[in-house]
Amino acid sequence: MNLTVRELRKLEGAPKTKFQRSLDRGLTALPFALATLLVAIYKLAPNFPKYAKNPIAYPVTNVYASFIGIAAVALLAFFVLSFFSAKAYESLLFKAPLYCAIFLVLGAYDIATLKTGILPLPYFPWVDRVLVAIIEDRKMLLDCIAHSLVLLFAGYITGTLAGLATGICAGWSARVRYWVMPLMKVLGPIPSTTWISIILIVASSLFGGSVFMIALGVWYPVSMSAFNGVSNIDKINFEVARTFGVKNAGLVFKVAIPAAMPSIFNGLTQGMSIACTALMVAEMLGVESGLGWYINWQRGWAEFAKMYAAVIIICLTFTGVNVVLNLAKKRALRWQEAKQ
Amino acid sequence: MSASVEIKSLSKVFARQETNGTLQALDNINLSVPAGEFITLLGASGCGKSTLLRIIAGLEVPTFGEALFNGEGIRGTDSKRGLVFQEHTLFNWLTVRGNIEFALKSARRHAAKKSEVDSWLELAGLSEFANNFPHQLSGGMRQRAALVRALSVSPEVLLLDEPLGALDSFTRMSLQDELMRLWQERRNTMIMVTHDIDEAIYLSQRIVVMSPRPGRIAKVLEVPMSYPRNRAADDYTALRTQILKFMDFARDEQEEYII
Repeated sequence: MNLTVRELRKLEGAPKTKFQRSLDRGLTALPFALATLLVAIYKLAPNFPKYAKNPIAYPVTNVYASFIGIAAVALLAFFVLSFFSAKAYESLLFKAPLYCAIFLVLGAYDIATLKTGILPLPYFPWVDRVLVAIIEDRKMLLDCIAHSLVLLFAGYITGTLAGLATGICAGWSARVRYWVMPLMKVLGPIPSTTWISIILIVASSLFGGSVFMIALGVWYPVSMSAFNGVSNIDKINFEVARTFGVKNAGLVFKVAIPAAMPSIFNGLTQGMSIACTALMVAEMLGVESGLGWYINWQRGWAEFAKMYAAVIIICLTFTGVNVVLNLAKKRALRWQEAKQ
Repeated sequence: MSASVEIKSLSKVFARQETNGTLQALDNINLSVPAGEFITLLGASGCGKSTLLRIIAGLEVPTFGEALFNGEGIRGTDSKRGLVFQEHTLFNWLTVRGNIEFALKSARRHAAKKSEVDSWLELAGLSEFANNFPHQLSGGMRQRAALVRALSVSPEVLLLDEPLGALDSFTRMSLQDELMRLWQERRNTMIMVTHDIDEAIYLSQRIVVMSPRPGRIAKVLEVPMSYPRNRAADDYTALRTQILKFMDFARDEQEEYII
């Protein structure tokens, strides 16, 4: 018998009453309803008098309404689709509470800022202003993303390569371990951002110095995890390889490195989070480009909407980077037993 | 193709790190295995049978004496001397196909033809599971894969270190038949370590009974039965009883020694 997991759950689970089922159906319609309500409140409810009186100083555009409107249309399509596809229905039913929560938060924030002024400007710009800031400053923001990514990856890749080299060599050879371990033990616990003040003075180029700082932060977790990975490999793997005539370098590249991959990826993930932190510190304190610098620069002009805009962009950028890293991890470690 | 193995006055002493002392694992072993023979090293744990196998494989170095392969001293590992371990020996990060390709590529220094790998997979009955990773296979399938991986490089001597020890008795018996068939097809030299008397009688031409601490050869028995052997035959059970008695005797002696 070829049952899908969904069918299995349905067969074995407690049957739902008619009331429960109509409640579920109602829940799937709720995200669309809330999104529509949000647009209605934004467009129709009166704005805080101070903002309403001066639309030139406090512009209220259709950007936010369009965003939510598009979401509402998509959710409506999803809702209609859910009548025809059981898979779509269950997916929507699962996600509906989260979507509702997001719209409730957005609606509450909109009311607290634009509609009632409880959270005042300039510190709390309403979402529309932030979105408009992103669109208006998109050229600059794109430029900043590019600069940030170049610096991030220059440091990350340098640190990863150095970390893999020291970690794998130390895990492999007792002589290397003798010299490298004390160094790792001393340098490891120092947060790499500590070096920023020294780098600001000593480094001939701020970019190079920042690459060094990020790389140093990445180096430690990557070398530690590579070291642990290599030194914990079951000896039998090497013995099996040797009976097939594999020698020295072959043992490192064909056995030690692939077998240590799960551990190495732990280090790579940790290293990425350290690299992101170090990048922000470098850009806020020295480097004159990138998203961190952009936030600081806009703060100087009290452009809070643009600061929030940059925070959103940073969130999206780093999320994207981590998604890519996780995909690579999933692909590289597909041989591992799935953990429940 | 097969080859002879000769062990001459071989002793092995291990360093014991916890006590900073040494421990003798093998004492003055003399054994000559002619090309194409199926021979079994039988004994309780601690009798050094695995150590002897590892020395022949080239994974350990003898302290005294020497181990010869085709008349030449054994120095390090070689794909001419294949080794199958008890368990956990497939490379977890490679598929079944990848494991066999690894062996072929390492032994020959060039990539194997797909059709060749396919035929090995078929021999192991694992064609359907070619692209599965080891953790997706049962214990018996994993061991079949490991066996075929070792055979794929056509070793002149196949060393088997309790290869079926971790399997349930049904899987074990069917793999014993499989092993027999492979050996009769290829006639390569087989040296197997086991603590299963039945397995030793069923498969081998000669049985080397070893006694423990330090490992010594206690007795070498011929198995004068033709293949395929019948586990229920009278001479089979008679030999079984004989070995059991002999090993019981060896154990009594051991207990007296401890007292």
